[in-house]
Amino acid sequence: MVSEKGSLFYEVYEVFSKKTDTSALQHQFSLLAPNQELAFIMAKENFFRREQVADIWVVKREHIKRMSQEEKEALNHLEKNYRETKGYGYLKKKWRQYEQEQLTEKDIMGGGEG
Amino acid sequence: MESLEYRECLIELIYQLADDDFLLAYRGSEWLGLAPHIEEDVAFASISQDLMGHAALYYGLLEDLGEGKVDKLTHDRSPEQFRNAILVELPNGTGTYLEDPSYDWAFTVVRNYFYTLSKKIRLDSIKKASYEPLQQIVQKISIEMSYHMMHWEVWFNQLINSTPEARRRMEEAVKTVIEELGGVFSYGRFGDRMVRLSLIESEEVLKQRWITYLNKEVAKEPLTMKQGNGRNGVHTIHLANALDTLSEVYKSVPTAEW
Amino acid sequence: MEISTNERMDHFMNRINDGEKIEADDWMPDDYREALIRLISMHGISEIMGALPEKEWVPKAPTVYRKLAIMAKVQDEMGHGQLLLRVAEDLMEPLGKNRDDIMKDLFSGKLKFHNVFHMKAPTWGDAGVIAWLVDGAAIISQTMMLGTSYGPYGRALKRICAEEVFHAQHGESIIMSLAEGTKEQRALLQDSINRWWSSLLMFFGPRTNAETGHSNQDKNMRYKLRTKTNEQLRQEFLTKYVPRVWALGLTIPDPTLRFDAESSEWKYQQPDWEEFKKIVTGHGPKSKERLALRVQSYEMNSWVREALGTCRISKVTR
Ligand SMILES: [Fe+2]
Ligand SMILES: [Fe+2]
Repeated sequence: MVSEKGSLFYEVYEVFSKKTDTSALQHQFSLLAPNQELAFIMAKENFFRREQVADIWVVKREHIKRMSQEEKEALNHLEKNYRETKGYGYLKKKWRQYEQEQLTEKDIMGGGEG
Repeated sequence: MESLEYRECLIELIYQLADDDFLLAYRGSEWLGLAPHIEEDVAFASISQDLMGHAALYYGLLEDLGEGKVDKLTHDRSPEQFRNAILVELPNGTGTYLEDPSYDWAFTVVRNYFYTLSKKIRLDSIKKASYEPLQQIVQKISIEMSYHMMHWEVWFNQLINSTPEARRRMEEAVKTVIEELGGVFSYGRFGDRMVRLSLIESEEVLKQRWITYLNKEVAKEPLTMKQGNGRNGVHTIHLANALDTLSEVYKSVPTAEW
Repeated sequence: MEISTNERMDHFMNRINDGEKIEADDWMPDDYREALIRLISMHGISEIMGALPEKEWVPKAPTVYRKLAIMAKVQDEMGHGQLLLRVAEDLMEPLGKNRDDIMKDLFSGKLKFHNVFHMKAPTWGDAGVIAWLVDGAAIISQTMMLGTSYGPYGRALKRICAEEVFHAQHGESIIMSLAEGTKEQRALLQDSINRWWSSLLMFFGPRTNAETGHSNQDKNMRYKLRTKTNEQLRQEFLTKYVPRVWALGLTIPDPTLRFDAESSEWKYQQPDWEEFKKIVTGHGPKSKERLALRVQSYEMNSWVREALGTCRISKVTR
């Protein structure tokens, strides 16, 4: 069903940002704007006039594939211990039998760094 | 400070910078709640705050130079003592911000864009050489200039390149603004001395930079000051009205702290 | 496989009762959507209309610092309107409506705004009292809804509440200067409190349906859109602010106002709920003028929307 509208209006843009250069991109909010360029200019003062911001992205909402509730519920899956560390908890006891401490996650990841 | 003459010219220049930003911030604040859409209302309000903040920095410097308290300078001077260009005192349209405001967004976009560009050019010139405490303030203010430029430039370019009606409105606004834009570049009767004392480069140099930045198409008419030179204390009735509003509460209880 | 409406409804109520958040694209019963649209569009448009009385005082603020602060405050209120209307617009989208429709509902009187924003604000004292007490009241009702079952509303409220702290302090700062000021300034402040008192009591709405004939409290509580009743909120407000008003040596225009230790509840004179009904239906002292200002702003800028607007057709797919 398509309904004709008399008056012109603006479109929805989603706004994402990074707080610092090293932080991950985070969704902030959405706004209405006539186009991408104005959306960007609006975004800066609408959502970052107080907080620190290192980078701002605006994306037209219709370009984003969003999930329906059914799709979200389909994200759930059964537990798969074999690919989690919790599937290997018994090793701690084992190593003790050999008078060794099990390497922790930090030890394994620690590499060369002190 | 080098000489009495230097001091006099410096103070005059700071008043010009301060009063321009103060009045345009006021005109911007009248738009609060009335901008073309809500998101723009918020963005525009930031710019008006920035301008008022810039004015406050200049007035603070004037206070340091012995001109009196910031709040007295902003709320208790007569119109002839104001040094702003007439362009920034002109109303946003007909009516008042309280009653029947019929505001013109095209005029607002053009005035702010042309003013912001001229302000940026002025500040860049002061940054090169001038009174050091003023240079420091100008450095600070410049941080906020790129957003102002981007904001007004996008609005200007988008509207002038859209529908025939928008183009017509914008061209009309360009005409009105250009008529008074000369006043923004003027330094008034102290102009020659300001330049000689290296407080700022000449009006002509700055004006030329402005014209070069915009293409010939936009700036084809000469920049004039049709209603007089605000730098010499000549103003329209609109300034007196604005000052009455701005100082209404301040003057209501003369001895008060607010 | 066809899922019956009953099953969907059960699943939905389970999610709400488990404290899950509902998102814009999730299935929701029509009356949940309706309740949200009513609540959030009224909240959002009240922020926008609320900018108008304070805006009157922006240029007139008596110092440069106050001019800056009140400008920032009014800007925030417009920003709150932006956040909330976006949330409402997304809820309306499946019904084929957008912000344009919200504005038109406001103009036609179908969409109402908060009673306080229909009132006059004739002095600088009102600028202080609005920021201190009207925002104070708004903070109480907004923080109560932070845990709302509707995710996007909760996220908007979180942003809003963070800014309200500045609003409250800006208001406190104004009233403190007036309270510690000259005789004239104290009189100005006392006048404003007298003027705003009954509006502040009305702010939270009637205690029960009996006072105005309708109220959506019950449904909103069942759907976890709110967790406290109007009266609980009003009591919190009184506990928070009455002692502070008194401590500044100011009075409240209600000789019966007192804290009753036995019922541990404030006793106060009921505001005129008939008057409340009149005010919120657009017959308050400033209703017409403020609406006219909004209509005017919408019309004088219509050429800008025509010039840049892009979505003439709205697709209704659901
Ligand atoms: Fe608010
Ligand atoms: Fe607020």
